[in-house]
Amino acid sequence: MHNTRPARITSPLISLSQGYVKLVPLGLLVGAIGIGMAFLFSAAASGGYRRFSFAYLTNFSFLLSISLGCLFFVIVQHLTKAAWGVTVRRIAEIFAMCTLPLAVLFLPILIPVVRGSTDLYPWNVANWARDNSPLLQVKFDYLKWYWFAARWAAYFAIWGFFAWNFLGKSLKQDETGDTKLTLKMQASSTWMMIIFAATLVFASFDLEMSLSPLWFSTMFPVYFFAGGVLGGLAAMTLTALLLQRSGRITDEITVDQYHDLAKLMFGFTFFWGYIAFSQFLLIWYANIPEETFWYRFRFWDAAWAKASWALLIFHLIIPFLGLMARTVRRNKTYLLFATIYLLCIHWYDHFWIVMPQYGSGIHGEPIDGAGGFPFSWAIDFPCAIGMVGLYVALFAWIAGDRPLVPKQDPRLGESLNHVNP
Amino acid sequence: MAHSHSKQPKPAGPKSKTIGLLAQFDDPDSLVAACERARDAGYEKFDAYSPFPVHGIDPAMGIRRTRLPFFVLAIGLTGCLVALAMQYYTNAMDWTKIFPGYAFYISGKPLEISPANIPVTFEVIILSSAFATFFGMWIFNRLPQFANPLHRIDRFRRATNDRFFLMVNADDSKYDANRTRQQFEEWGATAIENVDMDLTDQEIPKFFKLAGIVGLFLLLVPPVMIFRAYGSTNRAPRLHVVPDMDWQDKYKAQQTSPNIGTDKEPVYLYADDRAMRAPVAGTIARGDLQEDDRYYRGYEPGTLPPPAQPVAADGSSASFVSTSGPSAQDSAPAAQDPATTGQYPGEPDWIETVPSPFVVSETAIARGKQRFEIYCSVCHGYDGNGNGLVNKRALALAATGQAQWTTAKSLHDPTVKVQPIGRIFDTISNGRNSMGPYKAQIPVEDRWAIALYVKALQETGIQPAAGAAPPAAPQQ
Repeated sequence: MHNTRPARITSPLISLSQGYVKLVPLGLLVGAIGIGMAFLFSAAASGGYRRFSFAYLTNFSFLLSISLGCLFFVIVQHLTKAAWGVTVRRIAEIFAMCTLPLAVLFLPILIPVVRGSTDLYPWNVANWARDNSPLLQVKFDYLKWYWFAARWAAYFAIWGFFAWNFLGKSLKQDETGDTKLTLKMQASSTWMMIIFAATLVFASFDLEMSLSPLWFSTMFPVYFFAGGVLGGLAAMTLTALLLQRSGRITDEITVDQYHDLAKLMFGFTFFWGYIAFSQFLLIWYANIPEETFWYRFRFWDAAWAKASWALLIFHLIIPFLGLMARTVRRNKTYLLFATIYLLCIHWYDHFWIVMPQYGSGIHGEPIDGAGGFPFSWAIDFPCAIGMVGLYVALFAWIAGDRPLVPKQDPRLGESLNHVNP
Repeated sequence: MAHSHSKQPKPAGPKSKTIGLLAQFDDPDSLVAACERARDAGYEKFDAYSPFPVHGIDPAMGIRRTRLPFFVLAIGLTGCLVALAMQYYTNAMDWTKIFPGYAFYISGKPLEISPANIPVTFEVIILSSAFATFFGMWIFNRLPQFANPLHRIDRFRRATNDRFFLMVNADDSKYDANRTRQQFEEWGATAIENVDMDLTDQEIPKFFKLAGIVGLFLLLVPPVMIFRAYGSTNRAPRLHVVPDMDWQDKYKAQQTSPNIGTDKEPVYLYADDRAMRAPVAGTIARGDLQEDDRYYRGYEPGTLPPPAQPVAADGSSASFVSTSGPSAQDSAPAAQDPATTGQYPGEPDWIETVPSPFVVSETAIARGKQRFEIYCSVCHGYDGNGNGLVNKRALALAATGQAQWTTAKSLHDPTVKVQPIGRIFDTISNGRNSMGPYKAQIPVEDRWAIALYVKALQETGIQPAAGAAPPAAPQQ
């Protein structure tokens, strides 16, 4: 074929290099200031540490779901022997690797639970099931603080191992060019995908669904997954765009890679909507009190009802229409805006999942003085900025001086010549 | 090309015309290069043929991107509106004069557009978009084509195997037979050939036209049949798909004995003319023994007076007698005042206390209250004063002559208050005066619970309402 690009790296700059030196301290500084502000303003407000816990959990879930979405992307790339995404895979690998340091950021959630706090999780008291719903004794046996801690240790160990497996082997291949590493990663991606799915299901139960422990929804893990992959894809695309704007890996990621990433974002936007609606429809139609109370608060409270409709419009309809056309998927300026928008709305999705539990009891009844739409510019906004700052520092720290594209991947040539028909 | 078709050629006009020039290439790169040069040379009406999809050939040919996605989007959105309108029409619009929808509440869900409509809408969007894609592709590609002159060229068969072709149409503004052939040679064509179209037999056969017209008329049949069926009634029996389920070989309670003879000489299966058999003499169904007169009938054993009328000759069980026994005595003259004597002539000795195994307890009274409010309060009222809703309504109707009604008795009436509990139980079981029997609806234990509750009500000291109280005589 004519016009074939050779399978080698041509960009002059393919690592963070100097940027790494700047980004890590900057991110840590923003993180310290943002989280510190959120903590202080929470302490000053009526909510106290409980309010801060909810803001923190929202942002932690947001970042964890992005990392898990990127881990999913890496595994699925190997599972399908995909060639198109080789040049963007390293960014996903680094984001996936962030799951391991995120374990440290999980401590502010875990330590209070271990110490018996019910700020976040109302199940964390003795005889919780007996007092609220004896039928849920089995759930209560599952939701013990020591099981909770053990499960989270296992999740982070498994995800960290998976991410390290892919990132480590890929980095090794950069130096040796050994194609057997690709085959090894392909082989391990099969069973890793199964374990990944299982851990993600239970992690979503533990992290967000157990905030209202009386609620039942088997669809929730899929909902969490759909949003997470969308967030992961948006974070990858945004990172690639920003790296290219700063003069890095300019030749390797072409408009066709962006086109495919945008197609995936479009697909997962609708997949998210499909799952969100499936979860809602079954509960709405069956009309069983054990399930409806979760939505009842979100549609019954006047402020939250508007917030729920906003989620439908801004998380489904607008991105669905906005990412539909081919021309906009291939427009980098537009994609820069679209990915920032998607990350914001994905953050809002987690806010919508987590925050109503702050203002309602375990049966979905409003708590006096804590009702209404609780977004606070003094607490949630600095918390989000600070956490994202920490996340950027983590990314920069892991990326370091390492190449941001797999230099010797056997499918690099195919990826460089990838063309969307 | 062979033009030796058997049909007679038309008297005038040429037998064939050249529609283009075909060039053969031996590899895809030459084809793409030739396409680029044809595009640059200003040709617009030309096409490339390859055994497999060649990436990048579309821009090489200067083909603009397809408009199919916009077509699909438009049809998909139309499908969305059609699906919503269809559901709204069928489920929420029952006021249209002709072909009304059917407002049918399901699980209390709203009739109007609701989340329940979304799955159908979603499916219709998918279906209409899929059809739009498939048939839109046909339309944009001018398919189906039943014949293509290229298929008459032997060389062209290798377009599905290992050769690559480029054809420039003769009606292209830049086409010139000699110059184009020269360009093909320059671009590295390995073979060049004229493409001719056979102009004989251009007419559509008459049979196809006829079949088309008939088909169009046949398409009208279903809507006409539907319209006709909509406005007509039909007395024909409905179709029985499973006849032995519709007509089962069995007889039901209270049916007459089947006639197994003829109409003129009937022979009945059973001589007594009943389809069902009575229990064998001397037997009793499980749970129907009910020997205990105190518990099941409310009087002291052996105090039942002899019946006024003889009962059936085939042997009567005690329960059968008691059903009609006491109630049959309603017409007995009230010679003695039962309120003072406590005696009810012609009736057995009613028991004064609840019989075992019934146990008086708070639970039993609560149960009696609940059952009383279900079965009794509609006439006797919640407080037993005879002012239940049915009674009120019936009295209102009776006042205008629209109904006949015996006023429901106040349970606080002195004549009722003195009655032994056994007699109240009997009234509930078998009815009295115009009150019907409740034996069939209410189990024995619940009847005792109600009787107990009535006694408890009477102890509350409520006075009989003046208006609602019935005339004192001649009833008990």
